[in-house]
Amino acid sequence: MIPFIQTLIFGVLVGAVYALMASGLTLVFGVMRVINIAHGAFAVFAAFLTWTLWQTLGLDPLLSIPIVAIVMFGLGWAVYQAAVRHVRNSHVSMTVLVTFGIALVLEGVMGFVWGNVSHSVRTDYSAASIPIGPFYIPLVQLISAGIAVAVLVVLYLVLNRTWLGRAIRAASVNESGALLVGVSVAAVAALTFAIGISTLGAGGAMISVLNPFLPGSHYQWIARLLAIVVLGGLGSLPGAVIGALIIGVAEMFATTYIGSAWPVAVPFLIIFVVLIVRPQGIMGTRLREDLVA
Amino acid sequence: MRRSTALRAIASTAGLLSVVLVTSACTADSSSEADTITIGASLPLTGEFSQGGLDTQQGYETWVAMTNEAGGLLGSDVEIIVKDDATNQNTVVTNYNNLISEEGVDLLLGSQSSLLNIPASAVAERNKMVFVCPSCGSPDMYNRGFEYIFFSQQAIATSQARVFAEWIVDLPEDQRPATVAYPTLDDPFAGPVAEGAEKILSAAGIKTVYKDIYPSTTKNFDAIVAAIKDSGAEMIFQGSQFEDGVNMIRSLNLANLEPAILYQSSAPTYGQQFLDGVGAENAHGVFFSSSYNVLAKTPGNPEFVAKYEELFGGEPPEDAADGFAAAEVLAAAVEAVGSIDDQKALADWLHANEVPTILGSLSWNEDGSPTGDFLVGQWQEGVSHVVLPTEAATTSTVYRWRGDAF
Repeated sequence: MIPFIQTLIFGVLVGAVYALMASGLTLVFGVMRVINIAHGAFAVFAAFLTWTLWQTLGLDPLLSIPIVAIVMFGLGWAVYQAAVRHVRNSHVSMTVLVTFGIALVLEGVMGFVWGNVSHSVRTDYSAASIPIGPFYIPLVQLISAGIAVAVLVVLYLVLNRTWLGRAIRAASVNESGALLVGVSVAAVAALTFAIGISTLGAGGAMISVLNPFLPGSHYQWIARLLAIVVLGGLGSLPGAVIGALIIGVAEMFATTYIGSAWPVAVPFLIIFVVLIVRPQGIMGTRLREDLVA
Repeated sequence: MRRSTALRAIASTAGLLSVVLVTSACTADSSSEADTITIGASLPLTGEFSQGGLDTQQGYETWVAMTNEAGGLLGSDVEIIVKDDATNQNTVVTNYNNLISEEGVDLLLGSQSSLLNIPASAVAERNKMVFVCPSCGSPDMYNRGFEYIFFSQQAIATSQARVFAEWIVDLPEDQRPATVAYPTLDDPFAGPVAEGAEKILSAAGIKTVYKDIYPSTTKNFDAIVAAIKDSGAEMIFQGSQFEDGVNMIRSLNLANLEPAILYQSSAPTYGQQFLDGVGAENAHGVFFSSSYNVLAKTPGNPEFVAKYEELFGGEPPEDAADGFAAAEVLAAAVEAVGSIDDQKALADWLHANEVPTILGSLSWNEDGSPTGDFLVGQWQEGVSHVVLPTEAATTSTVYRWRGDAF
C-alpha cells in the first residue's frame, strides 16, 4: 500500500506541473481555435529567462515569476501581432504550420543567445523533500503544484469576474455577436494569446528548477501537452487539469507497476480509450462553456 | 571580303583568347583546390545531442588549426565542412550523401553518438570511404561486416565499464556491495555499458535486484528511485546520457537514498555542465568511465589542451578530445599511406597498425572496434580524477558517493 500511495503522490504532483503548462495552450485554442505548437518552445524560452535572472542577478526562480510572466506577455502579444493573427481565421491546420514555424524560430533564437547546451537552475530547495511518515513529498514539485493551483485560480477569476474575461467569453462563444456589442475581438484575441503565453512565466520557472533544459527540449514538452489537452478536451480549462492529472498519475503508475519503458505508451493508451468513448475528450462537449461558465 | 576576313580573324583570336583565359582560370582553380584537403562531417549541433556535437566540432576545429599551423596534411592545408544533423537519423544520412556527392570531400569524420553513426557509417561504407567516428561505442556498429569503420576511443560500450566492474569484484568482502540496481536509458550506447558491467558483477555473485530500461523522454525519476529504494540495492549502475543522469541524482537526493557506490555512464563526463546540474557535493564520489583526462601525459595532449583553451577557452571536454583523436587517427593513416586517393589502403593501414593519440595508443579489430580499455574516473570535491587503472590514476584515493574514502 505504501508504494501505491507514494506513486499516487508523485503522479498528482507531476500532473499539477503538467496542468500549469497546459492551461495556456488550451485557453488559446478555446478562444481562437489556434493549436499553438510553439507553446513548448515558449515554455523553454521562459525557462531560459528564469535562468538568466538567476545567473546574473541571483534572483530566485520563484521570485522571478512575475518578471518573466510580464516579459512573456509582451512576447506573446508581439508574436500574435506579427504572425498568429494572420491565420486566426484560417483552417486549424494552417495555425499548426505557422506556430510550428514560430517554434523553430524560437529554438534558433535560444540556441543563438544561450547556446545549444543544457542549463540548470539549482536552488537550496531543489533537493529538499518533506517526509510524512513512510512517504516523502519533493518540495519543488509541491511548490509547483501550489503555483499551478494559484495560476489556474487567477485564470478562472480573470475569465469569470473581469470585463476582459467577459469579452474573452463573448468572443469565444459568438464572435459576430461580440463585435455587435462593442467587443474588439481582434484585441481580445491578442490579449488571450498573450495571457496564454504569460502563464508560462510560472511554467518556465518550474521547468528550470525541475530538469536541465536546452533549446531542443520543447519537442518533448509539446508532445506531452498536446496529449493532455486532447484527452481533457481541446479548449477546456478544467479538462486540461483533469487530463494533466490523469497523464501524470498514469505515467507514475506505469513506471512503478509495469516498467520504466511504459510511461510514454500508457497515457496514449488511455487517450485512445477515452477518445473512442468520447471523441471530444473528457470535457470536450462543454468546450465553450468551460471558458464562459 | 577582306573586311569580312579581318572580322573573322578578330573573332577567332578573341575566341581563342577566351578559351585560353577560361582554361587558365580553371587550371588556377584546380590547383587551388588541390592544395586543400577537405574533410566532411555531420554533427548534432542542435537537438538532443547538441552538447556532445558542439564539443566534438570544437575538437575537429582544434585539430584543423593545429594541423594547418604545422604545415598541413601531406603538405596541403586542411579544411573541414561540418553540417548540422539536428540529432536526426534521416538528416545525418542526407548530410553524408551530400558531403560525398555534392561537396566532393576527400575524407570523412564521424558524427556524435551511436544513434547517428549507425546510419551515417552505412553511407560511408557504401561509398567505400574510411569513417573514423569519435563516438560510436554501440556493439551494433560492428556486427555488419563493415570494412571502413573505425572507432577512435579505447573500447566499445560493452567493455566500457570492464575495469570498474573488475575493481568492484576485487573489493574486500566487507566493502563489496551485495546487490546492484541497473536503471538504464534506452540508447544504443548506454544500454550495452550496463549489460557489460552486469555480466561481470553477476558472475562474481553480486545480485541484480533492479533492472529496467527507461525511454529518453523520461524526465521524472522519482518513481524509478522509489522502486530502487524498495529493492534495497547497495549500488546503482546507471547507463545514462546527460539529462537523465542529472535527473537521477536529483531524485536520489529527494528520496534521501545514498548508495555507497554510484556509477553513471556519460553524464559525469560533461564536466562543468554536470557540476552545474547536480552540484559539486552530489557529484562527489560518482564513478564514470572516460576516454580522456585533461591531465593525461599522452602524446600531444598538452599542446591540444593549450590550443583548445586558446580557441575556445576553458578545459576541453571529453567529446572535444574524442573528436581531436578521431582526426589524429585519420591523419595518421593518410600520412602513412602518403595519399588520400586509395581509401582501401587507408583502411588496411589502420587495421594493421597502432596509432598514438591524445587518448593513448589505439588499435582495432577487423570489425573496426578498438582493442583497449577505458579509464575509470571519479568526481572528487569538484575535480574530475582518473582512479583506475592504477598506473594512469591521478589520485590514489577512491571515495564512496557523497561519502568518505574506501
